[in-house]
Amino acid sequence: MGRTYVADDTVQKYLSSLHTAGGVCITGLLIGQLSLQRDYVLLSTKTPHRDSDGPGEGHSSSGLLDDADLEWATEHAKQVSQMLPGGMSVLGVFLIVPPELSKEAPSTLRRLVFAIEKHISKGRLWDLTEEDITERVTLQICSKTKKALCRSFDIKDPKSSAKPADWKYQPVSSSSWPLVTCTVALDLQISLPLKSLDDICIKEGLRSWANRIKAAVCLINGKLVADESELVPGQVRDSVGLLWFCDNVYQLILSLEDMGSSAVTQCCRSFISIRGAVHCRAYLQPNKPRAKHAVEAIRKDLMNTVSCRVNMLMEDLLMNEFNDQGVMTGVQPLPHRVFVALPASDFRLCDYVFPDESIADVAERLHEMLDSRVTEESIDSSLEPTHGTHTHTHTHTLLTIHIWYNSCYLDKNLFFICLGLLLAAGIAFLAMAASLIFITRLQ
Amino acid sequence: MVLVDDGAMILRLGGGLEFLCQLDVSDASQRQLEVSRSFADLRSRVKAESLVFSLTDSALFIWPNKSFQASLDDVDESTACGELLQSEDDDGGGKKKKKDKKSPVVNLRFMMEITEPTEPSAPCLYRENKKHHCIRMVLPMDCVVTVRSDETFGSSCKRLLRALSTQLSEMEAVTLRHMKDTDVPVPRPFHFSLPTSTELVTIVYPASVDDKGLESFRKELHNRFELPDDRPYFRRSNAFHFPDEPYKDGYLRNPHNHLNHPNIEGAKPYLVQGVYSYHHYMQDRMDDNGWGCAYRSLQTICSWFRQQGYMERTVPTHKEIQQALVDVGDKPAAFVGSRQWIGSIEVQAVLSHLLGVTSKILFVSQGSELPSQGRELANHFLTEGTPVMIGGGVLAHTILGVAWSETSGQIRFLILDPHYTGGEDLQTITDKGWCGWKGPEFWDQNAYYNLCLPQRPKAI
Repeated sequence: MGRTYVADDTVQKYLSSLHTAGGVCITGLLIGQLSLQRDYVLLSTKTPHRDSDGPGEGHSSSGLLDDADLEWATEHAKQVSQMLPGGMSVLGVFLIVPPELSKEAPSTLRRLVFAIEKHISKGRLWDLTEEDITERVTLQICSKTKKALCRSFDIKDPKSSAKPADWKYQPVSSSSWPLVTCTVALDLQISLPLKSLDDICIKEGLRSWANRIKAAVCLINGKLVADESELVPGQVRDSVGLLWFCDNVYQLILSLEDMGSSAVTQCCRSFISIRGAVHCRAYLQPNKPRAKHAVEAIRKDLMNTVSCRVNMLMEDLLMNEFNDQGVMTGVQPLPHRVFVALPASDFRLCDYVFPDESIADVAERLHEMLDSRVTEESIDSSLEPTHGTHTHTHTHTLLTIHIWYNSCYLDKNLFFICLGLLLAAGIAFLAMAASLIFITRLQ
Repeated sequence: MVLVDDGAMILRLGGGLEFLCQLDVSDASQRQLEVSRSFADLRSRVKAESLVFSLTDSALFIWPNKSFQASLDDVDESTACGELLQSEDDDGGGKKKKKDKKSPVVNLRFMMEITEPTEPSAPCLYRENKKHHCIRMVLPMDCVVTVRSDETFGSSCKRLLRALSTQLSEMEAVTLRHMKDTDVPVPRPFHFSLPTSTELVTIVYPASVDDKGLESFRKELHNRFELPDDRPYFRRSNAFHFPDEPYKDGYLRNPHNHLNHPNIEGAKPYLVQGVYSYHHYMQDRMDDNGWGCAYRSLQTICSWFRQQGYMERTVPTHKEIQQALVDVGDKPAAFVGSRQWIGSIEVQAVLSHLLGVTSKILFVSQGSELPSQGRELANHFLTEGTPVMIGGGVLAHTILGVAWSETSGQIRFLILDPHYTGGEDLQTITDKGWCGWKGPEFWDQNAYYNLCLPQRPKAI
């Protein structure tokens, strides 16, 4: 029984708009949602040009894909997968080939889809379970006849062979996809022992935090709901004016269960603390989503957004170290999550913005990665709290970090207090002036 | 012993709190201050609005610091605690657990909510590159309050919160007292039921220090609670055992608790005090059917001494018992590994050698005379309260108590029979009389009997 892939009409439009020049192929990603009965392809985007010394579109003229192309394509896939909210993922790849190269297409597609899956899952804080769908789609399109051949592979089995799959086009509207959102407070403390490597410790720290998230209890609308019960959708309007079907309030509750019998004392060279609030967002399958899907989707999105941001920051800092800006200490803001609706669809994707970047940079990045032009107005950066302008340097412990965070709030309040005082002073002055004039008039 | 009266119940709050502390490598003087700071941080955490109590095996979650928000509609601040027992029972079709009649326990766990923070701030990463000692441990919080079943849930939760905060302070005191350089012991709470108080008393002990090392601390406690110096009320193994907690080793504890007292006019029951495990034939994959009865009775007695905190080592095996007898010169070396019987004298010798416990030997020339020992046995259970080993005829048994009438002299014996060869099935053991009340006709009227009455050591 083959899988059915339902693709949005915009995907069809996009794919037919791609032209190949000469005997060159175009690779790209298919993005959407996996669900039990069928998979939905909501978006497609071609692999961006690689700036190489080679000819044309960066593909070698002999054979379909060399190793550099493969690496480029998998890196693109990883970047794109980081821009997807929960519930959406890179479902597979497409390949537009001229008829003379169509014989090698299946094996190329196979290489590509396995490599992409491997690269995307590196550094991920959760593993695929039996409940997850492990089929990925490959779409082979002949550049001359425009005929599409759809096959799927089971990426869990390295020896799996291509299975035929159905591919059809149908308008897909975002309003039938329930959206779940919540804001989660982070509090990770990672110690780096003397003879250890930064990235291994951070990975370990993230993993143990992720284990607690996986074990956390999730309440829906303040109640513990059975896994299999159906979700009742509600409606909410957001800041950009779009109407979303949204399930109400999700609450994650953590407990510490493993009460080991010994205290661990280590001599450490460094200490990392990650704190703040992140916004999580996930789309659920349109067909009778259940409570367990919503809980899983939030958990996964939370783990993805945190690991993605921490890794991005660490890479950025590593580059700074190489450029002789010194080893980083003190407070570094994590990239901020913004959401944007692509013109072709109603679904919102996300991106991460460093404090020194602007909204224009986001638009530029979206154009490069997703081959889409977005306006700056459609980028919503209000869903997460923004950074203040504080640059305190602290040399001490947790309690002082606490104070730092508290003083952030204080300054916001201080601003309002000052405003209030000013207003009051202003009014008092006016009153005094008025009464003076009145008095002088009387006299 | 504490008798929790009708209408009283215990609310028990457990959970782990992560303790994290960074100590300066060079400056040792600040260390205690740093530890105190970390504990102060934890005390403020349990006051946070994001603290959640969850009732185990139920869908009830409450936010005690956030105007008592609850996840079940029919529960709020004014709900009586007694009603919580019903919520706990709703397991959905499972077997109804046999609830202890005396003091029902409601188990709560505390957790932290991480969603919808009250003051969200932008996510940041803070890094400090200073060499330091990092101490990490999970504090095993375990607070207990005794409440009346008509007391409101709201006020009980307030008491639990205070208990949580107090426990953190006690843990801080224990940690500071037993801290060596950068090594800290895990402070672990134990609950004790004392004759001088109706509520359970919670004491925090450092995990790394053994009972001997804590003797001076226990002396202070005995003084504080005005307890006599001859009983180990505060040893860890004497901690209160909650009725709903299973024992991990699989042996049955105090099967006699499930029996009804014999109905004899004027007779009062005099029973073993404390907890013992039932040892019998064929346990531990040891086939001692036909010869091991006295060994098993001895094991039951050893289990009593271990569980009352007088013995730290495990209950001895048949071989270890035999080796002990060889060591004291009572038996030749070939005794070890044999299937030879032992009697009360050997039991006395082993108790003395392995546990340092003295025992009184009682000799009865005829089984028919055992009832006349009623006063002696009643006295024994009243003052010592240890199980008694009796050997005679060709059998050995354990006497766990007597029901004796001072006026009429009528007597029944509570017998634990080591000849049972089946599994740890409480129903069978009590129904078929493997643990049961027997009359004077139980004994071989013509055989002579020796009884070994172990004496409780006078120690704390």
